[in-house]
Amino acid sequence: MASFPPRVNEKEIVRSRTIGELLAPAAPFDKKCGRENWTVAFAPDGSYFAWSQGHRTVKLVPWSQCLQNFLLHGTKNVTNSSSLRLPRQNSDGGQKNKPREHIIDCGDIVWSLAFGSSVPEKQSRCVNIEWHRFRFGQDQLLLATGLNNGRIKIWDVYTGKLLLNLVDHTEVVRDLTFAPDGSLILVSASRDKTLRVWDLKDDGNMMKVLRGHQNWVYSCAFSPDSSILCSVGASKAVFLWNMDKYTMIRKLEGHHHDVVACDFSPDGALLATASYDTRVYIWDPHNGDILMEFGHLFPPPTPIFAGGANDRWVRSVSFSHDGLHVASLADDKMVRFWRIDEDYPVQVAPLSNGLCCAFSTDGSVLAAGTHDGSVYFWATPRQVPSLQHLCRMSVRRVMPTQEVQELPIPSKLLEFLSYRI
Amino acid sequence: MDGEKKTYGGCEGPDALYVKLILSDGHEFIVKKERALTSGTIKAMLSGPGQFAEKEADEVHFREIPSHVPSKVYALCMYFMYKVRYTNSSTEIPEFPVAPEIALELLMAANFLDC
Repeated sequence: MASFPPRVNEKEIVRSRTIGELLAPAAPFDKKCGRENWTVAFAPDGSYFAWSQGHRTVKLVPWSQCLQNFLLHGTKNVTNSSSLRLPRQNSDGGQKNKPREHIIDCGDIVWSLAFGSSVPEKQSRCVNIEWHRFRFGQDQLLLATGLNNGRIKIWDVYTGKLLLNLVDHTEVVRDLTFAPDGSLILVSASRDKTLRVWDLKDDGNMMKVLRGHQNWVYSCAFSPDSSILCSVGASKAVFLWNMDKYTMIRKLEGHHHDVVACDFSPDGALLATASYDTRVYIWDPHNGDILMEFGHLFPPPTPIFAGGANDRWVRSVSFSHDGLHVASLADDKMVRFWRIDEDYPVQVAPLSNGLCCAFSTDGSVLAAGTHDGSVYFWATPRQVPSLQHLCRMSVRRVMPTQEVQELPIPSKLLEFLSYRI
Repeated sequence: MDGEKKTYGGCEGPDALYVKLILSDGHEFIVKKERALTSGTIKAMLSGPGQFAEKEADEVHFREIPSHVPSKVYALCMYFMYKVRYTNSSTEIPEFPVAPEIALELLMAANFLDC
C-alpha cells in the first residue's frame, strides 16, 4: 500500500530542510506513558514558542532566541537551561524587558495549549518591525493549558505565573483556541462531548456550553474573523458554529472515521480537516463543499476499511499563513507539505511518532511534536505568491462564497476566487 | 563621486533598461524592464512579433486599462519590485498587503497581466 498517488515518484519529491530540534530531557521513567508531546504552539506575535514536554510540564522559549541557537549551535539542542544561552543581561535591570524562558509545571498531563493575546491578530501581523518588542504591562500574552482532569490553567507568558484556573469540564480538555480578534475569548474542546466558551477578560467567566457532539471532541479552530468556530470529533463529526449566536450552522459530511484536527486558511475561505480515515479534506466552510482531498494511503481505503484501524491515521493538519500551503502529519512516519492546488505533496520530511504540528507565525517554520516529548523544526516551502492569490485572499477575508458568486466578473475569475481551480 | 549627475538609460533599443507602459488615456509610466517582465503578458508583448510592440522604443500600450486607477498601477509596480526582490532569495519573504478596496480590480488586472 503506497503513501503517494501512483503517478508520483516518491524519490522525486523534495525533502524539507531541517532547522532544528528540541529534545526532551531524559526522564527517569522513560518507557511510561505521560511523556507525549500532544501540542505545540506559537504566540500570535511570533515572540514565544510553547510545547508540552511530557510529564506535566510545559516549556516556553522565546522564539527568536531559539532560532538563533539553532543557527549558532547546529541543529541539535537539548533543552536544559544551561545549554540555552540567554543574551547578555544589562546590569541596570534591563533584563526585565527581555523575553525569558519558562518551564511550567501544570500539575497534570497537558493535552492542549493555546496562546491568547489582547492584540488582534491582524494588527500583530502587519506590524513587522515590532514583532520583537515586548510591551510590558500594556498587551497581555496568555498561555492556556488544558489538562487531563478537565481543568484549564491560564498563565502569564512574560512572568510564568498562574493567573486563572477554569474548572468545568469533566474530562480531558483535548484542544483550546483563542479568538484571533484580541477579545481573549477562549474555547475549549473536551472528551466530555462539549465545547465551552470562556471570557478571560471577565475573570474566566464561562459564557456558553456548545452541545451537539455525540462523542469525544478532538479539536476546534476559529475562523480568522472570529465569527465561525469549527469543532471536530469522533464519529466523523465536523461542525460549524456561529459565534455571535452560539448556534450550529451546519455539519460537514464526508469523513469516514474520527476527525482529529482542523484549521482555517488565513482568509477564512478554506477549512482543512484531518481524519483517521487517512485523508485531509479541504472544504469551503460557507457552503460545505469539499474542494480538495489529500490522501495519505493509496489506493484509498474503502469506507469500511477507512472506518477502522488502518495504520495510516492522519494526526494533525495546519494551514500556512500564506494561504497556499498545508502541512499534515500521519502515522506513516512522514510530514507532508501540500499546495492547495495539487493533490500530491510538494515536500516531505521523515518523522516518527508525530502527534501535532503547527506553523510559526510568519509561516517560515513548521514545528512538530512527537511521542517522546520532543519537537522538530523544518523550513517550509516558501515562494513569492502570485499577485492574483494575494488579491484573492484580500477579497475573501471579507466576502463569503455566496457573495463571490454574485460578482459581475468572468466565470474563470469566479472559479479562481472560490478556490475551485 | 560628489556632484555626479545621475543619468538614466533610455527606453529605446533592445538593451533598454526601462520600458514605458502607456494606458488607455495616454498616461505613461516608466518602469525598470526587469521588474515589468514579472508580468507574463508584458513579457509577451515586448518579445512577440509585430502586433504588440513598437520596436524602436520599448513601449507597451494598454488600450483597456484606464488610469483613473492610479493606486492599482502603483500596487502593480510595488508587486513587481516585491517579486524581483524576493524570488530566489534566502531572506524572509514579508507579507505583501493588498487593501480590500482595490483587491477585486487589482485581481482582474493581475489576471490580465498573468502575474
